Amino acid sequence: MTGKPLLVLDRINSFYGPVQVHFDLSLTVPEKAIVCLLGGNASGKSTTMKTILGLKTPQSGHVLLEGRDITGAPTAEIVRAGISVVPEARRLFGEMTVRENLLMGAYVRADKAAIAEDYDRVLELFPRLRERLRQKAGTMSGGEQQMVAMARALMGRPKLICMDEPTMGLSPLFVDRVLELIATVNKTGVSVLMVEQNASMALRIADYGYVLQSGRIALEGPARDLLADPRIRTAYLGETIE
Amino acid sequence: MATEGALLSATGITRRFGGITAVDGVDLHVREGEFLSVIGPNGAGKTTLFNLISGQDRMDAGRVTLEGRDITNLTPHRIAENGIARTFQHGRVFGNLTVMDNVLIGCHTRLRAARSRVPVLAPVIEILRALIRPAPVRAEDAAMRAEARDIIATFGDRLTPRIDQPTYSLSYANRRRVEIARALALHPRILILDEPTAGMNESETAEMQQIIGDLKAQGRTILLIEHKLNMVMQLSDRIMAMDNGKVIAEGTPAQVRNDPRVIEAYLGHSSIGGTAPAAKSLTEGAQ
Amino acid sequence: MESLLSLPWFDFTISGVVIGSIYALMAVGLALIFGVANLINFAHGSVFTVGSYIGWTCAVALGLPLWATVLVVAAAGGIVGALIELLAIRPLNHQSRIAPLLATIGVGLILDQIVHIIFGANPRALPVSLPNLRFSIGSGTIGAIDITIFVTGVISALALYLFLFHSKLGMAVRATAQDGDAARQMGVGINAINMTVFGIAGALGAIAGLLVGIYYNSIDPNASFEIMLKGMVAIVIGGMSNVPGAIGGGLILGLIESYGIALFGASYRDLFAFAVLLLMLLLRPNGLFARAHAREAEPMTGTFVTRAKPVRIPAWALVAGAVLIALVPALGQPYLTQVMTNALLYALAAMSLTLVAGTLGLISIGHAALLAVGAYASALLTMAGLPVALGLVLAAAITAVLGAALTYPAFRLRGHYVAIGTLAIGEIVALVILNWTSLTHGSMGLYGIPPLELFGIPLFSTNASYWFVLALVIVFALLQMRLLSSHLGRTWRAIREDTIAAETYGVASNYYKGLAFGFAGFVAGISGAVSAHQFSYINYDTFNLLTSVLILTIVILGGLGNVTGAIVAAIIVAGLPEVFRTLAEYRMLFYGMALLLLIRFRPQGLMGSD
Repeated sequence: MTGKPLLVLDRINSFYGPVQVHFDLSLTVPEKAIVCLLGGNASGKSTTMKTILGLKTPQSGHVLLEGRDITGAPTAEIVRAGISVVPEARRLFGEMTVRENLLMGAYVRADKAAIAEDYDRVLELFPRLRERLRQKAGTMSGGEQQMVAMARALMGRPKLICMDEPTMGLSPLFVDRVLELIATVNKTGVSVLMVEQNASMALRIADYGYVLQSGRIALEGPARDLLADPRIRTAYLGETIE
Repeated sequence: MATEGALLSATGITRRFGGITAVDGVDLHVREGEFLSVIGPNGAGKTTLFNLISGQDRMDAGRVTLEGRDITNLTPHRIAENGIARTFQHGRVFGNLTVMDNVLIGCHTRLRAARSRVPVLAPVIEILRALIRPAPVRAEDAAMRAEARDIIATFGDRLTPRIDQPTYSLSYANRRRVEIARALALHPRILILDEPTAGMNESETAEMQQIIGDLKAQGRTILLIEHKLNMVMQLSDRIMAMDNGKVIAEGTPAQVRNDPRVIEAYLGHSSIGGTAPAAKSLTEGAQ
Repeated sequence: MESLLSLPWFDFTISGVVIGSIYALMAVGLALIFGVANLINFAHGSVFTVGSYIGWTCAVALGLPLWATVLVVAAAGGIVGALIELLAIRPLNHQSRIAPLLATIGVGLILDQIVHIIFGANPRALPVSLPNLRFSIGSGTIGAIDITIFVTGVISALALYLFLFHSKLGMAVRATAQDGDAARQMGVGINAINMTVFGIAGALGAIAGLLVGIYYNSIDPNASFEIMLKGMVAIVIGGMSNVPGAIGGGLILGLIESYGIALFGASYRDLFAFAVLLLMLLLRPNGLFARAHAREAEPMTGTFVTRAKPVRIPAWALVAGAVLIALVPALGQPYLTQVMTNALLYALAAMSLTLVAGTLGLISIGHAALLAVGAYASALLTMAGLPVALGLVLAAAITAVLGAALTYPAFRLRGHYVAIGTLAIGEIVALVILNWTSLTHGSMGLYGIPPLELFGIPLFSTNASYWFVLALVIVFALLQMRLLSSHLGRTWRAIREDTIAAETYGVASNYYKGLAFGFAGFVAGISGAVSAHQFSYINYDTFNLLTSVLILTIVILGGLGNVTGAIVAAIIVAGLPEVFRTLAEYRMLFYGMALLLLIRFRPQGLMGSD
């Protein structure tokens, strides 16, 4: 893998009550890269997201951002350190306007001038949103909502955006559109860690991929290699890789 | 497939949430003694379908019959009385009840002490029976307990030594076992298992597969939702695959595992991982 | 028709709007708190009372002008609200969802008692000099007080609007109310938001207290509970966390009350509020203004039976304890014996509540209503000539039937809604007793209830009635324990642990809830009936909300569901303050602190929940 490591998960073990969901999970997201974390149902993908954001503290192991240990730190601090999130099912503030949703993305920041700058920059990136700043986010279509969610994440001026199943619940047409958006975001220099079930879609735009199976990394490699690897099927469909 | 002779028949089952159709005109038929599995990616509508059949949720359209009796949209306790027992995806045991009491709740539909037919006075009679406990009530209680002990014993020494412990103190795998024991205590005509091995490690999964295999060998009618496909392939007589609320494939394990629509539903595109070895790789673990 | 038309409808509308805008001020605070913290703040009425007394201190004692009084009251109310969050709510972050609700009940008692201690128990006048303006419009008039209240209400609403929609913190408050998890992922600190919201609610509630004081020229240290309920009704109308809905709900409630009084008379006023509340809970639990996609009520079980085994007491110790308690009269202190009789009557009531709140998991805040039904039933039957023994049994049976029937509407409710629903049912019972004058003599109450006797054997001596009540406690405790060890105990506990799973295994949960309330009603009915014969006088207020809260405190202290725990705790809670007279004066403070500390440090109670 190329590039300086930005986010490192080092031998994470986490539990829900008696159930262990991560077994020595390690992964790296380099600077300016798109990394996808693939896996079928109940493989532990979403818990990975929560662990990165400090919403779930692992029993052992570390989360490092640019070498700094942020394991279990308050979410506000992690966001301030440069990790934004596009949550599963987008989770926009549906009763609030698009503009307010974007400003919520910058909630932890106090640099008013820079926020205004980023606001303009994000709207340039997503010109469609400019016409809809006063619209309530909940009334938009799924694809537009995904756009708002990404713009909101960018408002935190992040080094890394974590995306939790960005294509879930979208029609195939929008899936392609979302892929473009992710590529657009990445081109601004932001790394992306994408948790996905839809393997073929994710690997098409990713640089590197990990396949998570029952809380363990079953397979990893450059996205191009993974796409052609027959083992990905067995991993996905709940069978053990020999 | 033929609907006559089916023990459980569900036709045109539909459930909408707001603008989303979670279950869209699904037909499902299970014959006596058959083992049918339902597979599909997250959000395919499997659990919603089972919730509709077992009465936790009300369907917008469709009809369910059990042995010809219409059980569409009955309350859950009526459906239980009709002989459908289910377990839950994340396990729902009664944490502060002992293993024994959990299983005894499974006997509730058969409990004569709770079944007075006297109008108006039935509640008073039920309380008096519980207070006075005449010989028939004591005998019934003893019989139920003996039976519960036998059911619990089918799980080897996993549960028997813990029979008087509250289930919150049990391991996750043991709680799943208690759930199945509770379901068996209902003497179900159909047993619905919703991801019985979710969250279990490999040896626990193997053990659970053994138990479910034994249940099948007893000739029970079983409906299974499960993600561990090699287990599904080995146990099922028939498999139904769902995606986006619809049935996308149905047939024997051999038919379904080679169906490109199923692979596409799971992986996003059927070409991933190369086309040629597809059937082989899915088959490997299963044989 | 003629007479209806000739009523001064304009004036009724004005007073409805004025009172409604006060309800709205209360409701907005409750709605904000419910939205962000998912909690009904039962201490909100006490903040109102604190506000009215701080207003009195500023306007009357210090002679400040009205505008300054309003500002001081708002600031003080804000501080009180924020402190409630910091001291009582925040420490319970990881407790079960019902814990903070119970904590706010405790806080309310403490605040009320503090007001009592400082200002005394009697109402005071709150004269404020306003220009003597009256505008005549048609046949009606609007006075300066009406305008002052309305304008203050509007300014407060505007200030709130500006805060919520034009400040960063306000935006975070709205975001948190819509989706707390997503807000957290944006880095919003939930504690700060909670504190902000409690502070705002406190400020608005305190202003409402001041305004009501000005409107009636009277402030009352006992007003807390009633006004909190009005605010609650308003948010149930408006849709719990819906802030504009709360304002609408407040105004609607004010108008309903005002017109209702015009048509039926003032004593029915509260009945309307509770009837509206109950109808809303049953028919439109998401409020009048809800869209189709209202968030579902939190599917929580209404209890916090902890995962701890109850303390098992050996049989010999129980027998020894019973013998010791039976020997109390041998001490030769009649006052102590009387206090213990009273404590044992509470024990019966607590056994009854611990069955439904603990074993079954439905936290009822209206349990005193069952005592009242039993008391009135036995009193009326025996006053009509029935022997007392028969009266007691019939009263218990009537309470059993009514207990199951009256609470039936609450069976489909969950979590906090059970608390609101049972509270409303309890209040409705009290109001029916108050208004059904031909049967109950209304506010006069019932005098000359025959003393205790059984088949001609008099039991009115202090010792005889003590032993009689003790015998009742022992008999019903044994019966209840026997039920708990039967299939019924198992079934009730299963419903408490997971109602949906229980139903899936064939348990008709409503039927079994009815059985539990039936048995609990029988026991509570006996307790109320014996009390009536003991007191020889009862009225609609003999068994009031404080009684309900006291019983609930006993039940929590004893350990939810624990029968022996309920008896031991009743002796401690109902007995101790009477034995140490200084405690009796600060009774509410004692109960409130007990409730608060228990929930925080020993939610399983003294003897462990069962």
